[in-house]
Amino acid sequence: MIVRLIERTAVLLVSLAVSSVLVFAFMAVLPGDPARVALGVNASDQTVAELRRQFGLDRPLPTQYVDWLGGLLRGDFGTSYVSKAAIGPQVFDRLQVTLWLVVAGMVIALLVAAPAGTVMAARHRKVSGLALSAVSQLGVAVPAFLAGILLIMLFAVKLGWLPANGWTPPAQDPAMFLKQLILPALSLGLVQGAVLTRYVRSAVLDVLREDYLRTARAKGLRPFPALWRHGIRNAAVPVVTVLGLQLATLLIGAVVVERVFVIPGLGSLLLDGVSNRDLLLVQDVVMVLVVAVLVVNFVVDLLYVALDPRLRVGSR
Amino acid sequence: MKSYARAVALVASAALLVLTACSAGSSTTPGSSPGASQSLSIGLVAEPASLDFTTTDGAAIPQALLGNVYETLVKQDDSGKIVPSLAKSWTTSPDRKTYTFDLVDNAKFTNDKPFTAADAVFSINRVKTAWTISLKSAMDVVQEAKALSPTQLQVTLSKPSNDWLFRMTTRIGAMFSESGVSALATDPIGTGPFKFSKWNRGDSIVLQRNDNYWGSKPFFNQITLKYFKDPTALNNALLTGTINVIGAVQAPEALKQFTSNSKYQVIEGTTNGEVLLSFNNSKPVFSDIRTRQAIRQAIDHKALLDTCFAGRGKLIGSMVPPTDPWYEDLTGIDPYDPAKAKSLLQASGAAGKTLRLRLPTLPYATSCGQVVKSQLEQVGLKVQIDQLEFPAAWLTTVFKNADYDMSIIAHVEPRDLGAVFKPTYYTRYDDPTLQQDLAAADAGDEAAQVDNMKKAARRISEQAAADWLFLLPNLIVADKNVTGLPQNAITESFDLSRLARS
Amino acid sequence: MRRLNPSLIAGGLIVGIVVLMALVSFVWTPYDATFVNPAARLAKPSWSHWFGTDKFGRDVLSQIMVGSRTTLFVGVVAVGVAAVIGVPLGILAAMARRWPSELIMRTNDLLLAFPALLLAIMFGAVFGASTLTAMIAIGIASVPSFARVIRSGALQVMRTEYVLAARAAGRQPFPIAVRHVLPNVTSLITVQASVSFAIAVLAEAALSFLGYGTPPPTPSWGRMLQESQEFLFSAPRLAIFPGVAIAIAVLGFNLLGDGLRDRFDPKLEDRR
Repeated sequence: MIVRLIERTAVLLVSLAVSSVLVFAFMAVLPGDPARVALGVNASDQTVAELRRQFGLDRPLPTQYVDWLGGLLRGDFGTSYVSKAAIGPQVFDRLQVTLWLVVAGMVIALLVAAPAGTVMAARHRKVSGLALSAVSQLGVAVPAFLAGILLIMLFAVKLGWLPANGWTPPAQDPAMFLKQLILPALSLGLVQGAVLTRYVRSAVLDVLREDYLRTARAKGLRPFPALWRHGIRNAAVPVVTVLGLQLATLLIGAVVVERVFVIPGLGSLLLDGVSNRDLLLVQDVVMVLVVAVLVVNFVVDLLYVALDPRLRVGSR
Repeated sequence: MKSYARAVALVASAALLVLTACSAGSSTTPGSSPGASQSLSIGLVAEPASLDFTTTDGAAIPQALLGNVYETLVKQDDSGKIVPSLAKSWTTSPDRKTYTFDLVDNAKFTNDKPFTAADAVFSINRVKTAWTISLKSAMDVVQEAKALSPTQLQVTLSKPSNDWLFRMTTRIGAMFSESGVSALATDPIGTGPFKFSKWNRGDSIVLQRNDNYWGSKPFFNQITLKYFKDPTALNNALLTGTINVIGAVQAPEALKQFTSNSKYQVIEGTTNGEVLLSFNNSKPVFSDIRTRQAIRQAIDHKALLDTCFAGRGKLIGSMVPPTDPWYEDLTGIDPYDPAKAKSLLQASGAAGKTLRLRLPTLPYATSCGQVVKSQLEQVGLKVQIDQLEFPAAWLTTVFKNADYDMSIIAHVEPRDLGAVFKPTYYTRYDDPTLQQDLAAADAGDEAAQVDNMKKAARRISEQAAADWLFLLPNLIVADKNVTGLPQNAITESFDLSRLARS
Repeated sequence: MRRLNPSLIAGGLIVGIVVLMALVSFVWTPYDATFVNPAARLAKPSWSHWFGTDKFGRDVLSQIMVGSRTTLFVGVVAVGVAAVIGVPLGILAAMARRWPSELIMRTNDLLLAFPALLLAIMFGAVFGASTLTAMIAIGIASVPSFARVIRSGALQVMRTEYVLAARAAGRQPFPIAVRHVLPNVTSLITVQASVSFAIAVLAEAALSFLGYGTPPPTPSWGRMLQESQEFLFSAPRLAIFPGVAIAIAVLGFNLLGDGLRDRFDPKLEDRR
């Protein structure tokens, strides 16, 4: 167990290091001089060179990399080339917004997938099961932004029940915050839920076939409590793994939803940064996203081991 | 061991919730809903990249800050005339090289320092020493700026220049406080009717009424400028009440939902934004005037406007909007005539050639580009479209390196004919006659200016230096009860001080 | 014994129609999909324009037909890239000793942190947005799933008698890989290809919507969706046609993948 923990932690650290090099290298290759874009259209070559010196862009690449990495580890995300404002607070704020969106989306996805998947598994040879299966297939096929557009058309523009776009922090106006969160979370969550449903169904089906469940029923436990007590823990394993893997997709999928619903999250910060050639900002945001995904996968790995005792016996 | 896993999960989720609940997105949208009687929310596109327009280019910054937070010595009224602002009056010397301004005596900056001639001198000199955007060159003609007294300013030019006083109404004429320039990018300090309150990056800029303003106080005590990237989201925001005004409609097709709705008013006027189909005049294919004329004649501008901007906008024949004193309707030069275009192309030998139309990733450019391609192909030219990311890729490739044949972009600066059509600009247009006309317009008196500018405008049109697809309209949609919205957008700023609610 | 199931039939049919539409579009479309005709703009569906026209007067049906070419092209190249890189990687990971195998799988996991959209945005910014950059980015982002699935399958094949015998007989790994492992994982490759195809179609739609996908005037379903946004109020049909096309294509490939999975190995049913 301990060996595994150490091994996993080592892998995490190496992955983080390698990602940082990849991200930095990629940004270094990006054409379009950030100093020129920041200064705008007509700046003279001299002023551009000045600014490059100010940003430290004329130093050798390895030096810039080490400085950047060192800064990140200290918590110093640097200053934006374009807006001259500190990047750290911006990223932190936007990250919270995206987290709310992603978490809300995941919650909805689970709320949809858990019952739907279980029902589909329990009735997988009956018509109702097949029908649900067909609906979930359709759900997977619809892109999140299309779902968003349709939801806006119906609930915001036609019916006027919910706002079409915007964002209010929860501390400021909880009611408005919730109202503005519903549609985007639904767009992300419904589609994600459809994807998840199929995994839940498959995991529950596996569980239904396992011996220990028959044993439980033979012991006299009624089917539902048996399913609950023994089945859920085991069905949770692949589902939790998938959730972790889906996080990366969700985080980026949120980008498009953020565009449609005008939510100031990490995704739109990224897109803005790329379009403005705000190199340092893009580097930092991509790093944050990558770190988030790697860390979550790491935690999921640990939970996996914690949930499934069979995996704790050291072998692969 | 089951409980271990549960414990971990519980602690992790609790930590996450606490962390996010604290201040999630706290630097985003601030309070008052636009329902409150004294606040207003305006939806715009193109968020400023920084609040410092002395070092950062782009129309978005002056749009928000000029006239509202910062003021100039002189400004333009609705008919384009230059009228007093921080300067109550001014006189010109007989040789027209020296201007003496009488300044108001009760203007104060938001850092509580009074506005004096010393600040004016500081601001004018600073343009030459600290500004980095290219527009600063308009101040090069100033030889000396002197404070004769706290309320009298004398500016001496190296030669008479009509243009200089006009430029003083634009951003380079903004008056800064000698002690208020330390944080221009994040904390602008001016004398205007509003003061800067907050900038929620990616979302909005909030301005508050300046209660110490020397002029008549604005109606609203808080105005929020909300920035949208998506034109449909902008429209939806008005429909659902999140904003009260759409400052610049980007998706004119969707105007129908507002024109048919009595809750809203729609304003359609003109702007300074000429949508230019530029020719790279340094390329051999454009050296023959017949080719350039043929391209102009191949385009059905009315159909183009209908198709790519829902018919909203004005057709123009040169680089001058109707609000400039020397405007003439030159749309009769090189009118739509595909047959003639074909024969001109045969004559110049350009028929069948391939032209690269390199477009910035802006919606109107993408739309119009496809119509232009289709129409040019009907007269025998081949057009290859590619899209360059705006701003970064387009600026480098087309703007700086002139690596293009044709491009489409709107030029929104006021009176930019001279700035756009010169050899060092991306149009690479070299025409000594034009330079002469422009110099004469600048040096002469008012009448001479109008005459020579008319000549200049006619010259570039007759020479087919470029094609003018249309003039961007000033399209504003707002709640019916908002008053004071500008009919035409003739200045760089969106004047918020005259807005009120009836 | 052949096992035809509803998923396979439905999926096969839908994919077949899309492919047919793409093939036909090379030879004939009702109108030139890029011909701008301002006089006929925003026409409602009628006998002359079955799906109506868009804001440029271009025939929507022709655009959908030509757009299917883009969709299929993106899918094929993306899946191709993913398979060409992912399959050998997976087999290698299965056959190699502990350390190299771990290394490959960890690198694989690292790639999972860079989802298709992120890569495509970054590639688009460097190389300019185009169908090519989109396809390659999506392809690279799909490598991890291929590698994982193939590795699992290859591991299973490695345990079969043929392979154990071949190894005992001293055969070199490369011939074993080619002669035994590869043929036995083709079914897995097919299934994963189908699933990845669906994901590629969705990714292309999202990218085109954001402006990082196929540039105009080449018709693309994702971009048609983006262009239709302006008209949600006045002409919602402009969003519905490409939206439905995308959904149906994705549905088809998913069903096909499910059906193939069921057919090749019912024991693998419903597993990822």
